[in-house]
Amino acid sequence: MTTFANKTSKSNVPEKSLITKLNMGTGLIAGIIFSESMYWLSKSWFDMNEAREINKILTLSMIAWCIGFLIGIGAFIGPFRWLIGKDLTDEEQLYMAGSGQGISRYFKYCTDHKVVGIQYLVGVMTMLGAGGTMAMMIRTNLIKPGSKFVTPEIYNSLVGLHGITMIVALIVVATGPFGNFILPIMIGARDMAFPRLNALSWWLLFTAIVTLCSTWFFGGIPTGWTAYAPLSVQAGPGMNAFIITIIIFAISSAIAGANITATVVSMRAKGMTLNRIPIFVIGSTISVALAIPAFPTFMASQIMAAFDRTIGTGFYDANVGGSGWLYAHLFWIMGHPEVYVILLPGVAALMEITPVFVRKPLFSINAAIIGFAGIAGLSILVWAHHMYASGWSPSLNGPFMVTTEMISIPTGLIFLVILGTLWRGTPWLKMPMLCVYAFLWNMMIGGVTGIYLSDVPVDDYLHGSMFVTAHFHYTLMGAALTGAVGGLAFWFPKMTGRMLHERASYISFWFTQIGFNVIFLGMFAAGSQGQPRRVADYEQAFATSDLISTIGAYLTGFGMLVLLWAVIHSWRKGKIAPMNPWGSKSLEWTVPNPIPLENFHELPVVTSDAYGYGRSN
Amino acid sequence: MNTSNSLPPTIGERARKFIKRHDVRMSFLYSTLITALFVFLGLWFYPKFMPEVMSEQMQNGKEVIVYFTVISAPVAGLVLGIALYTFLNRHKGDTPPPDGPAIRTNNPVVLVWTVVSSLFCLIAISWGLVEMNVASSEAAEREPNAIVVEVTGSQWVWNFNYPDYGISSDKLNLPIDRPVVFRITSVDVNHSFWPVQLGVKVDANRHAVTTVRTTPNVLGGIDIRCAELCGLYHAYMESEGEIMTASNFNSWVTAEGGHTA
Repeated sequence: MTTFANKTSKSNVPEKSLITKLNMGTGLIAGIIFSESMYWLSKSWFDMNEAREINKILTLSMIAWCIGFLIGIGAFIGPFRWLIGKDLTDEEQLYMAGSGQGISRYFKYCTDHKVVGIQYLVGVMTMLGAGGTMAMMIRTNLIKPGSKFVTPEIYNSLVGLHGITMIVALIVVATGPFGNFILPIMIGARDMAFPRLNALSWWLLFTAIVTLCSTWFFGGIPTGWTAYAPLSVQAGPGMNAFIITIIIFAISSAIAGANITATVVSMRAKGMTLNRIPIFVIGSTISVALAIPAFPTFMASQIMAAFDRTIGTGFYDANVGGSGWLYAHLFWIMGHPEVYVILLPGVAALMEITPVFVRKPLFSINAAIIGFAGIAGLSILVWAHHMYASGWSPSLNGPFMVTTEMISIPTGLIFLVILGTLWRGTPWLKMPMLCVYAFLWNMMIGGVTGIYLSDVPVDDYLHGSMFVTAHFHYTLMGAALTGAVGGLAFWFPKMTGRMLHERASYISFWFTQIGFNVIFLGMFAAGSQGQPRRVADYEQAFATSDLISTIGAYLTGFGMLVLLWAVIHSWRKGKIAPMNPWGSKSLEWTVPNPIPLENFHELPVVTSDAYGYGRSN
Repeated sequence: MNTSNSLPPTIGERARKFIKRHDVRMSFLYSTLITALFVFLGLWFYPKFMPEVMSEQMQNGKEVIVYFTVISAPVAGLVLGIALYTFLNRHKGDTPPPDGPAIRTNNPVVLVWTVVSSLFCLIAISWGLVEMNVASSEAAEREPNAIVVEVTGSQWVWNFNYPDYGISSDKLNLPIDRPVVFRITSVDVNHSFWPVQLGVKVDANRHAVTTVRTTPNVLGGIDIRCAELCGLYHAYMESEGEIMTASNFNSWVTAEGGHTA
């Protein structure tokens, strides 16, 4: 940057405003001060020698951390001004949008949707890295029977933390980075509908992640990510961090969901009628709209767990008339919609990619929308298929089996749309397109094994076994994460202005995908043989299957490291990307690199959908 | 070009032309190969890895997996076969490929696809419902001479109580060909009672009794595992048992100090 530019940008800075002084550092300091003072304060109120009292102290300290951090980073400046009957000045608003600041705006409470998108991207990649490292440790412990790589205590914590870290990361993996960065440009908007809420959703997620990390210092979460109730009420102080994390994350995702939905409904460019909305926008919107009713039940379940643990209520305590089944219901009423919250944006990203690289229109966009809507609608009626074997009501297993298996029909439509787009095409097999093929293979296996598991007699055998673990990894990692990686490779040039390193991404793709299939085919075998999930140790009979899985895990781990290298390297000194490297017809490729603050100099007018490829026969 | 071409082609002509196309034939070939692969997996992979079948429930579960795999093989074959053909028929080079045909949709194809997948779904649903129904009605019929076993899970052991015989054991021994009713509960957190070779499973909940029925029909050892994460030593919450002849069972009961009424 030249001195001149510095000067001009300086002139925009509101000189005496508090906003200019606040960033992540002040947030961390305020958060630590708040939580420490709450800790010392509550220690004088409660007795440190009793488990329940410790839970109170930690819960209060963690809440104080979140509030302190948000105050410290300046999240409440706007609402505070409203309270005293004012608002931010125009200059302050411009400053808050990151105008004229370099890298530092990524560490601030920044309202620019592109900054939030990058924050999400880095956050998600950090979470995936942490979760992946934990997966490697889990697989290393399972390399042979009786291996004592970690103690059972740490193993259980690893399983739980790997699970929840990956679930949180995958929920935001596509809607976070691409939904914030790309989606507004895709519909021709200057920003999201509620830019300050957008920043709030990211920084809430950040406080949640920090809270989740703190669980290591309090003994971990020995319950698995499902945190089933009697076990979670019995668990040590680390569980408090899990509860607070989920509560904050539920708030964050509700805010993000409302924001994306409002943006898509009200901020579309002129001429972008409902039938011209790109499929990624539709998929993401349906996904976040599905999250809005789903997550509050999870939040409620955790609030009740917090009450059970701190003030001794008995929602889940059978001794005083509560029930663990209540927890299971609340959890899975969120839990099953949530897997589709994860899956839909990934699939939608791949549907966005396919027409560009095959140079054909998306085949039957109506079928795609019906497929998404059908999945979303049915997904709220199937939760109890996770509870076939729980014994809460065997007579209701039949109805839930019916609704569950019906999901195969809209899922079939999704296959049809991608397949119809490929049909008679000559695809350009760049990294994003490779991910489409990997998705078809993985989702086919994940889907078919899902039909076995939805069948009650089979589930009576396979429930709670490694087979289930393999099944949902095929859908969540093999399909959803692959979709997000495809999306990253596709939009990387627009998000960073540079091309993703091609050779490294191919190497990463093949290692990851082959390794992935090796892991989980081994795990299907182990599950069929009868190995339960979440076991720190196992019998000799499962040794071969588990060894194969571990080898596959190392291949995948290597592939992921290569991808990480490719992203970091390309971001810093990759080839400069042209404005539209893939020749796409979608709006996000019409803006220059780097993208100006409000995206468009002149708002576009849309006259057709984004899939006008192809010759008329 | 002869004059007959001026008329619109009949469905038969279009079909003949369709199946003569190179991409159609190759896609069909790949689809067949992939279908064969999945059928092979269904008939070989699962039967090879699943443990010995020692009850009707286990038999049912195993059959469903095998048949569902075989039924779904053509669907997987079709999708992956077409995908494989396009994958091999890829565009090489560093510029975007030439435009393909602008097929926006094809309503008959969408319709047929939806109807066929709904039929597959219907088959799967009816199969499961019929099997569940048969299992429960058979269990109800055989109730009278059933042997009751009270299973209690605690961190991290299983206990088996035989109220009819006045014994309690950490081993689950059962007489062959006699229906058994498991009444399962827990004294602490959730566990899941899984006698692997019998193919049934149900959670153990505190202050609640869950029930599951089966009839062991093959002699031999069985493994009992816990299928619900229940704390520190979840992995080691295992017990053994044996399906034995009626006389062996009676002598085991006597040896344990029980009474064979």
